[in-house]
Amino acid sequence: MSEHRVAYFYNPDVGNFHYGPGHPMKPHRLAVTHSLVVNYGLHKKMQVYKPYRASALDMCRFHSEDYIEFLQNVTPQNIQSYSKDLLHYNVGDDCPVFDGLFDFCSMYTGASLEGAVKLNNNICDIAINWSGGMHHAKKFEPSGFCYINDIVIAILELLKYHPRVLYIDIDVHHGDGVQEAFYLTDRVMTVSFHKYGNYFFPGTGDMYEIGAESGRYYSVNVPLKEGIDDQSYAQVFKPVIQSVMEFYRPTAIVLQCGADSLAGDRLGCFSLSTRGHGECIKFVKSLNVPTLVVGGGGYTLRNVARCWTYETSLLVNENISEELPYTEYLQFFAPDFTLHPEISRPDNTTNANSKQYLEAITKHVYDNLKMCQHSPAVQMTHVPGDYFPDEFKVKEESDPDVKMSAEELDQKVEPKNEFYDDDKDNDKDSILDSKGP
Amino acid sequence: MSDCTLVAAAVIEHDASMDLASDKSLFEPTVDMMVNDFDDERTLDEEEALAAGEQQDPKAELNSLQREGDMPLDELLALYGYDRSLEKPMAEQTENVINEENDKPEVSALQQFYTEPPTNEPTRCLRSGSRPPSEEDDDYDYSPDEDDWKKTIMVGSDYQAGIPEGLCSYDDALPYENEDKLLWNPTILDEKVIEDYMLAICAMNSTTGINAVPRGKQLRDDEQALFLLQQCGHNVEEALRRRRISAAAPAHASLWSEEECRNFENGLKAHGKDFHLIRQNKVKTRSVGELVQFYYIWKKTERHDIFANKARLEKKKYTLHPGHTDYMDRFLEEQEAGSGSITARPVSPVMVCAPEPPAQPDPLALGEKEVFSQLNALSPSARNLSAEESEHDVTSL
Repeated sequence: MSEHRVAYFYNPDVGNFHYGPGHPMKPHRLAVTHSLVVNYGLHKKMQVYKPYRASALDMCRFHSEDYIEFLQNVTPQNIQSYSKDLLHYNVGDDCPVFDGLFDFCSMYTGASLEGAVKLNNNICDIAINWSGGMHHAKKFEPSGFCYINDIVIAILELLKYHPRVLYIDIDVHHGDGVQEAFYLTDRVMTVSFHKYGNYFFPGTGDMYEIGAESGRYYSVNVPLKEGIDDQSYAQVFKPVIQSVMEFYRPTAIVLQCGADSLAGDRLGCFSLSTRGHGECIKFVKSLNVPTLVVGGGGYTLRNVARCWTYETSLLVNENISEELPYTEYLQFFAPDFTLHPEISRPDNTTNANSKQYLEAITKHVYDNLKMCQHSPAVQMTHVPGDYFPDEFKVKEESDPDVKMSAEELDQKVEPKNEFYDDDKDNDKDSILDSKGP
Repeated sequence: MSDCTLVAAAVIEHDASMDLASDKSLFEPTVDMMVNDFDDERTLDEEEALAAGEQQDPKAELNSLQREGDMPLDELLALYGYDRSLEKPMAEQTENVINEENDKPEVSALQQFYTEPPTNEPTRCLRSGSRPPSEEDDDYDYSPDEDDWKKTIMVGSDYQAGIPEGLCSYDDALPYENEDKLLWNPTILDEKVIEDYMLAICAMNSTTGINAVPRGKQLRDDEQALFLLQQCGHNVEEALRRRRISAAAPAHASLWSEEECRNFENGLKAHGKDFHLIRQNKVKTRSVGELVQFYYIWKKTERHDIFANKARLEKKKYTLHPGHTDYMDRFLEEQEAGSGSITARPVSPVMVCAPEPPAQPDPLALGEKEVFSQLNALSPSARNLSAEESEHDVTSL
């Protein structure tokens, strides 16, 4: 088996935030995961980075300036003076203003962004950022515990070098923020597997959401029902991703590994085991395409940590023992203290996905994929077929000869990608016009 | 689209008149009405007219929907199993629907409709969107209306990302490069060398503090040691030498004093898991981040068990003696209880919450502990369960 170079991004402070009393999203799961990764001896198998922290400017590559400014300034202390904005930006119960909110966002976003940069520069084949994966965040507002959409920002970075980026989402919730951001383009294909129906958040993601305009057929949705188990999940996941690869031939992948699709999740309703969840990661890894792996949902802390630790081990190709190593968090894993405990199904959920249903949906996806001619407009102008064009590396090395300062060059490059006018319509029209059918 | 709106309006009117009609059963005509020969038939006629109109309306609505290429709702519902009777012919339906989908004439008209901001739609919450809110969410607040759980993907410049055109290269030095920090690179040294180094580090540590705890079979990594090795240009001897010199200084966060712990617990009692308030009012010596970190370690210690147990009993007593709802009151009483007035006021419900249980064994408090340990003995997972429960107790205090 070919060895992949894995880069791992972790900020030691990212786990020390708290969304507030009673909130199911617990950033500390990241600290627990990291502790397991280190104590399993996986740390030394990877390039480990304390990542860059994203600036407001980086965030504005996707989000509106007003919204970012609001996030940057609002704190639990001054929240009173923002009461109007709170409503406007849908801040409150799901997405509270907590201490260090902006720091938290800039940490997880910076890590994803840097993962993308490292992939672009062929420094690694797989980049891992468990703190990222906030797939619900919208351009103008937070949603579903997500404030900044690090995935969208990382994909925008990947698009600098990659003609086609594939986004795969195995969170139990629909990856609506990412899908919406790239709904009109064929340069990003979003594929989301999720629970759909019966009031389940966020309410989008039925199989007829397929994208629009140039992006028609480039949004793929696989709505599932509650209780899906390992076998059924693999039955849909593998053929769907296989045909996506065939028809779309992405040059980079972003994989969102939301762990709320595991059995016994506090908010989820699927019945996947950590092994079944990991099977998807294994499968994507076997495609041998540069991949950014991010976290996402996951609200039963101990299982999230188990899952992402196991998946780290899969990505670095190490077998790790069933017995958990000693960590300061060992008590969280009582009473079994194992990596893959027996799945407990709390409310005797049965698998509501019949084989027939899964076949029908797989066929539906396949038929749609056939419709997308896999040649986005920008495709082959500069980029040769292999994933990491060597010419770029050469360019890097010749850098010392460049006379302009870094800032000047940054400014030259930035405007198109990073700023939006307040009249966004103009901006977008021009993009659409130039793209054509 | 316009006739669709009309239909909706008509239906609403109709509903309204239905409501009126159903109210009639309870309705007693006033004397005035009876005198002036109040005509009840008129409204009935209206109703009939509306009903007749309604019979045509569903078709009109469906047609207009189809014209726009939207898919019929009933088929969609059938697909997702809302109508069990329709589940069998599902495969066929799927195909029909796909054909329709492919034949979609014009999407843009629909999209313009989509881009209009939704009016007064209640927000949906992820938190409440799945499991029944019973177990943990006291703050559960909203359940969406029957009809609008479905959301649409919005189209417009307010929603999509601006996609860079074409490809580009970084030209100059890598962006962000200077701001990250490589902590470890696995490719420089041979795996065996690294392993030996880790063993040597372990041997050096094994006598002190937390490192004295047996590690089991796994050879764990030591982030600091690996970073040190990299800093020494991957020279193992040099790294070990430096490590020996600095071995005395523990790299981990400074230990919490007893006072800090106690303040933290009091803060938790007063504010629940609002670490911001705890920091503001109780533990000013630590950052919020440190408090969060401490909380998760503390949560699984015996100290937490004692704390949670006490909090629970306290809560119980308070429900027996309603009226003690004022935090300040309670806080003051706690202080009194703590300062040795226990014997003076034996009836007070507050006496169980002496703030320093380990120091002076209170007979009552001891009793509680015994009860608790019996609980423990009953089921192996009881400890875990109670820990989680008590967490909520604390939250809802």
